[in-house]
Amino acid sequence: MVKRSDKAKTMRKLIKAIWIFNWFNSCGFAELVPLVGSRWDMERFGMIVVGTPRHADVLFIAGYQTMKSIERAKRIYEQMAEPKVIIALGSCTMTGGMYWDSYNTIKKLDDYLPVTMYIPGCPPRPEAVFEACEKIFQHVKELK
Amino acid sequence: MIDQMEPAPKNTDYDLYFGPAHPGSGNFGVKLRLEGEIVISARADPGYLHRGFEKLMEYRSPIQNAVLSDRLCVLEPLNWNLIHAEAVDELMEIEIPERAKYIRVIMAELSRIQSHIIWYGVFSIGTGFETGFKMAFGYRDYILDLFEMITGGRVYPAGYICPGGVRRDFPNDTKDKILKVLEKIDEMVKLEEIENPALDARSKDVGVLKPEDAIRLGATGPVLRASGMKTDVRKEEPYEIYDILDFDIPTRKEGDAYARYCIGIDEMKQSIEIIKQALKKLPEGDVIAPKFKKPKISVKIPKGEVYTRNEVARGEAAFYMVGNEANTPYRCKIRGPDFLHMIPVLEYLLKGAQIADVPAIYWSLNICPADMDR
Amino acid sequence: MVKIEDKLLDELKTKFKVEGYVQKERRVWVSIDSKELLKICKQLKDSGFHHLSAMSVTDWIKEKKYEITYHLWSYKEKILITLKTKISRKSPTIESVSKIWNENAQIHERELHELFGVKFKGNNDLSPLFLENWKGLPPFRKDFDWREYVKDKYYDKKNDREKVYYD
Repeated sequence: MVKRSDKAKTMRKLIKAIWIFNWFNSCGFAELVPLVGSRWDMERFGMIVVGTPRHADVLFIAGYQTMKSIERAKRIYEQMAEPKVIIALGSCTMTGGMYWDSYNTIKKLDDYLPVTMYIPGCPPRPEAVFEACEKIFQHVKELK
Repeated sequence: MIDQMEPAPKNTDYDLYFGPAHPGSGNFGVKLRLEGEIVISARADPGYLHRGFEKLMEYRSPIQNAVLSDRLCVLEPLNWNLIHAEAVDELMEIEIPERAKYIRVIMAELSRIQSHIIWYGVFSIGTGFETGFKMAFGYRDYILDLFEMITGGRVYPAGYICPGGVRRDFPNDTKDKILKVLEKIDEMVKLEEIENPALDARSKDVGVLKPEDAIRLGATGPVLRASGMKTDVRKEEPYEIYDILDFDIPTRKEGDAYARYCIGIDEMKQSIEIIKQALKKLPEGDVIAPKFKKPKISVKIPKGEVYTRNEVARGEAAFYMVGNEANTPYRCKIRGPDFLHMIPVLEYLLKGAQIADVPAIYWSLNICPADMDR
Repeated sequence: MVKIEDKLLDELKTKFKVEGYVQKERRVWVSIDSKELLKICKQLKDSGFHHLSAMSVTDWIKEKKYEITYHLWSYKEKILITLKTKISRKSPTIESVSKIWNENAQIHERELHELFGVKFKGNNDLSPLFLENWKGLPPFRKDFDWREYVKDKYYDKKNDREKVYYD
């Protein structure tokens, strides 16, 4: 019998299918809403989009954030229940992207919220999002 | 505290924030003041996507701006690419080869079809018809595969339509692939025309806009055509090759949400006709002016000013560009159709509406918050 | 045959103090004095220019002036006329045209007030539109350099990757 810590045991019980709350800004809308559609069906991996942060496990932050919308993102993150994970999509969350010299966009999401995983691309392809979610499941399986 | 223009008249009124984290509202917030179930007044809350585009363009040269210009409105990137390229061509007085004009029009009309498909999808989910949403995003992927084959990107074409023409020629079997995709879109338009009782009942006689009000509030494009005025920039001031193509302008008289929804479907049919005509007449030749064949970072923009108008999927778009003998434009004002649709028109239409009609009115105006905030 | 654009320009030249030219088909550019703005706008609206397409401000920092442009389109004659007028850069004030073009002009003026600092007399709602709690210069002026501002506020001198920008 493999001995696992308490945290590993709870994570394996809770993370079997992940429920997502979308916080899309512009670019995310055009490329990631098709994930729900019939071609890149995400329900086959067990992922569903929910309408309120209180039911969600994962917060997807897609696209650049401005000073006004990062305040709203912080309030949404505080309303989620443990265990929770943030996934940041796009290159604008890593370095500021194409708007690196704009006075109103933030340059590194890590300065404001704790990010677990980054997915690069401008915008990232749907297959990249599925690979990222597969990595979460693998990480939970290997937790000691 | 929610701030409104006037204080609440009675203490049975309450405020509701239909904001950006709501699953049915996009990146835009509206503050509603309600009395029971009727909306007394609405105040728009923009600014969640403001990047300051007009000044970002003053730091970059025209060929760098061509890549930036597809991010103006994410739902129809090639149309905005086209209007930026036209403004720079006119200011620098460049002659474009004939084949490039035809390719530009074909790509712009494909982008218009793709944008109307999204409009159909989100309008159906706003009024409770979820099958329409899945169908729309399923068929839209055929067009995105075409874009990937021609330009290299599914959503953003990386400045494909640049000043001087287009970046590269069509690959060999493009014509057949485009005709096959158009057959699929024809199939989808026939499915869209099937009457759905819930959608019709929720959108007829809802959000009526009369023609005098529409002109006073600054509405353009499908919103104005649904109220009775027959006007389209492609017919009034033809640009590229629209003066030799043969197409119709669908108009309706009622001005309600159902009329706007029907115009979207009719416009898709007209765009399919335009693409078929352009493919038949496509000539051979170069696709870019010889001066721009090798992309150069610094070109000199002469002194002068120009105002270019185009018809994008949402209405009338315009670029006011001022040059001052430098590498970068001196001032670049961008006029988008959604700036007028989302603030004056929406606040006017939501007054007196029932709270259950708010999503139908909101999505029938075909809004794109990125275009409003720039 | 006298063209419509030339006729329109001559009509304006006889009644008011203007200078202008016809750039090409359907484009007329006219420079006016800011004191005659409302009278010219009223006459143009009565002769068919119902649609205010856009309004913009250009910052000529060397001449120390702001240039405000109004672009008007007529659905009947299908021509576009642009009115250009210059005001001082230190204390920019001008009459509002929201009495003539109502809500369409009012929202354009609200945006220009926030981004350039121009005061429009007669517009009763100039509250901020895009920015929340912004306490600096109006952001689109030419003396506010964005690249310096970003380096100041967002980059970190102690970070190894970003140190190079400070050399």
